[in-house]
Amino acid sequence: MKNPVTAFIDKKLKKLDPLWQAENGVGGQRVRFHDKTGIAKYREWRGVHDTMVDYLAWLNNLKSMGLMVAMAPLPVLKGIWEYRWMGSYLGTFAFIDRLYQGYRGPELKIAHMHMHAIVQSLTKKIALVLSNDRRLGGGPLTDRMVPMDEVLPPLFMAGFPNLIPIPLQTLPEFIICDIDQQLEPFYIDVAESFGLAADVCSRCAAETGVTFNDDFPLIGKAFLSTNMPCNASEATSMFQRRRIDLPDFPVTLAMIHNEPGAHPYSTQMLRDAIKFIEEEYGEKYDWDALFARARHMNEQNTIELEKWDFFKTDYSPLSGISETLYRLYGWASVNGQEDYFTKVDRKVIKIMRRCYEKKYLPFGGKTRHRAFLWGPSAVYYTDFPTWTQNCWGITIVLNMDSTMGHNMISTTDPEQAIKDLAEFSEKGVMRHHAVGGWDNVNAVWDWAKRFNCDMVLMNDNVACKGMNGVHAMMEEQARELGFHFIFVEHDLEDCRTISRRDMRNCVNSYMSVVANEEPLDPTLVDFDDSEAW
Amino acid sequence: MKDLRHLIYFENLLQEANNELVSQAVDEGKLALGYNCYYIPEVLLNLPGCFSSRLRAPRCQSADVATYYMTNRNCPYVRSILERAIEGGYNYLSALFGAEGCAAMERMEEHFFLLNPVKNDRFFVTIIDPPMKEDQTSLDYYKAQLKLKVVDAMHEKLGVDTSEEAMRQAVAEFNELCDIITEIGNFRKLPNPPITGYEFHVIQLVSQACPHYLILPYLRETLEEIRTREPEPKFPFRARIILAGSEIDDPDFTKLVESCGAMVVADRYCFGSFPSRERIEIAEGETAFEAIARHYLHWNQCARFMAGDKIDQRHTELKRLVDEFQADGVVYESMKFCEFWSYEKVLASHVLQNELGVPCCTIEKEYALGSVGQLRTRFQAFVESLEIKQIQAKEAGR
Amino acid sequence: MKKKLCGILLKLALVLFGAFLATFTVYMFNLENKLIYYVIRPFLNKHYDSQKRDRRIV
Repeated sequence: MKNPVTAFIDKKLKKLDPLWQAENGVGGQRVRFHDKTGIAKYREWRGVHDTMVDYLAWLNNLKSMGLMVAMAPLPVLKGIWEYRWMGSYLGTFAFIDRLYQGYRGPELKIAHMHMHAIVQSLTKKIALVLSNDRRLGGGPLTDRMVPMDEVLPPLFMAGFPNLIPIPLQTLPEFIICDIDQQLEPFYIDVAESFGLAADVCSRCAAETGVTFNDDFPLIGKAFLSTNMPCNASEATSMFQRRRIDLPDFPVTLAMIHNEPGAHPYSTQMLRDAIKFIEEEYGEKYDWDALFARARHMNEQNTIELEKWDFFKTDYSPLSGISETLYRLYGWASVNGQEDYFTKVDRKVIKIMRRCYEKKYLPFGGKTRHRAFLWGPSAVYYTDFPTWTQNCWGITIVLNMDSTMGHNMISTTDPEQAIKDLAEFSEKGVMRHHAVGGWDNVNAVWDWAKRFNCDMVLMNDNVACKGMNGVHAMMEEQARELGFHFIFVEHDLEDCRTISRRDMRNCVNSYMSVVANEEPLDPTLVDFDDSEAW
Repeated sequence: MKDLRHLIYFENLLQEANNELVSQAVDEGKLALGYNCYYIPEVLLNLPGCFSSRLRAPRCQSADVATYYMTNRNCPYVRSILERAIEGGYNYLSALFGAEGCAAMERMEEHFFLLNPVKNDRFFVTIIDPPMKEDQTSLDYYKAQLKLKVVDAMHEKLGVDTSEEAMRQAVAEFNELCDIITEIGNFRKLPNPPITGYEFHVIQLVSQACPHYLILPYLRETLEEIRTREPEPKFPFRARIILAGSEIDDPDFTKLVESCGAMVVADRYCFGSFPSRERIEIAEGETAFEAIARHYLHWNQCARFMAGDKIDQRHTELKRLVDEFQADGVVYESMKFCEFWSYEKVLASHVLQNELGVPCCTIEKEYALGSVGQLRTRFQAFVESLEIKQIQAKEAGR
Repeated sequence: MKKKLCGILLKLALVLFGAFLATFTVYMFNLENKLIYYVIRPFLNKHYDSQKRDRRIV
């Protein structure tokens, strides 16, 4: 039941609402923005209630950032001065605004719960890393930190309760590229200035540039690298291990991971990694400590599986980037190690159950297509799913990476637990379905059917040799099975090769020419955001 | 120098994957087993009744159909192989033993069962998951993969004898081939060798592209011939270089380098003799299969290895070759769109030049040798820089 | 006493309302992002571009 006062105000101010504007042909989402820069003249008016939800979430995130500075004022300031990537974090608020344009009601509430979980976790991590970074003077926890490759799931490290696993590339590269599309081209140029070919995966080129530019925080006593997810990522480790100059152990899990023979090997590889850490850090592996965190991961995965049941219906208030980013960060970076994420999951699933019971149609019931997003997504265009929703009514029901390791991990038997962990880890970011054989990639159609999707958006990372290698087969399969199918070309972390605008045009062309549909919000069809973060 | 008696014959054999000797062996009832990568031990594919055929796509001018399947942003080697398969150039194969050496290679090998381009009823494909380190865990996995997807597959699907005796016999025959190629290759260590890099490249390639039992008599004769061959009165090149990096299966590439004045004295690339022609030694208490797996994992120089010792091995091995073959420098090449070698090229050129004091020139190449003007200029400039270094060294020594 | 308490509560309410007004204005007019985009980031970028870093392969 709506409050009569807010209902009255909403009625009076409805013309400010971009959704109303688009519906009535008098404007839309893009009207609020300065051309090119992506800086909004004013924030989105979503009605009293939802604007207040958004405002309070903004305040809450501001509080987390304030706390980060309060926790380690000097290291944080030094960090901003020292590291180019730290400056990019200042774009976080604009980033959140971009992601949740057009969100209302439970969609908005869940989105902000998810985002705050990420912000509070990330800000703590930044403060922790910077206050123990040797480059900035070090700290009491410097030698208790274990730098590890960001795509190696850190859950198995929970068996070392006295150590702090830090996904090394997450802060300077992986997350920050989501926030600021202008950052990684700088690092890519650094790597290429040393002779690296311009056709390699831009994510890995950027990591290499961070290495060459000496922009990694200096922490820990030993480094865990990995062969995940793919070729170029493996190759970047060659430079990182030498530049970081710590004893290193490559955790090389099975590449063809859908075969029975793969798991015993990956299991032994994890055992070897544990032994390496025991020797380098003088710590003993504690299975009970692992079990405690595995329980959280299991609960999160159990809730995730229940979420999937709701995703299959039209009544899920969770979709698009709100779903993807949270799952990606919560799985790959947190990986069961923070209680906060379990609490958020418990709250979110309650909202989702309620929405289902009420047959709540998200996004004002304007969804026209249910799409599965497949292949590694463009990191510089994180709000792409928001755009497809607002512009064409394409709801991204689920993203390939959200299907990452969801097997349960034994919390009683160490032997079984390590086997479960191996299987869980093999199916990490950009790996479960992009690597390890044709069947994994080709699984998209089954997933799309299971989730009642009529469309598959295929992320076409122009530098991904593995996915390029199945280009025509995917197209032929789509035609045969009758899916709407769009290749969305992108260059993962280099917005100069294929801009956000170019990516939008891939969808625009299909929707207007092939599907013969009209946009929901014409102001979003074509615009220039080349100078935006 | 007097022309080698079999050189033209060898060159002709390299014009087709399904060459005269391959056809002869198939007609004699032998099973042709294809492979692309060093991770698949050549020796295993030469068990009794079989012969190995390392896949090449000679004279491939366009890969349009394969490009449709794999895009033009993918490795030209794998596209050329797929194109040749679609053209029917590998219909003689009974099996393809693939390796997930890199993503592009794996995808190409997958098309061999997705498109069924090889018109041979017995034909099948397996793809191993090769490890990236040399520790015990990796060796065990490598053995398990080879056992399951090569040895057992050969036995169960093709009825090949994979017993210990058969393996020992294959190793013995393989070692003979290696000894011959190694001895021929070692002539390149001499100050004025009786063989050119191009000739050696042709000889090495025929040893990989032809059935061993049919090419061996020619190789034996060629070795005898080289033993007594008179070199040019004066070393005809201006510099000695090592060619290193990713895949090269076109001897014309070596010819191009040599036409710029640099003799290729050692070949450390995929399809080269380093590695591939090292003897397999079976240790006491070891089975032949165990020795093969250990040997191939140890000598493998692939840029995908991640462990520090294997990364260092790539560079120390190259330095060893520079010293033994008295090379003045290294040309480090990578195939266009090759992720691994693009990275390794950057690291290796740094290590070679700044840590090991070896001059290095890095280049990127296509599979088919098309317009070579830019490459020629690069090689000529490199040769000149090596000459200047030689002059400077002489002056400093005076 | 009660009057004093009311006074304090009133002041607190005024302060909170003032804080709300100030922060809501910043929020609604996107002032923090404008400040960062047009002032802080250009300044920081200039600094980063002039930094001397130990740039090398390994």
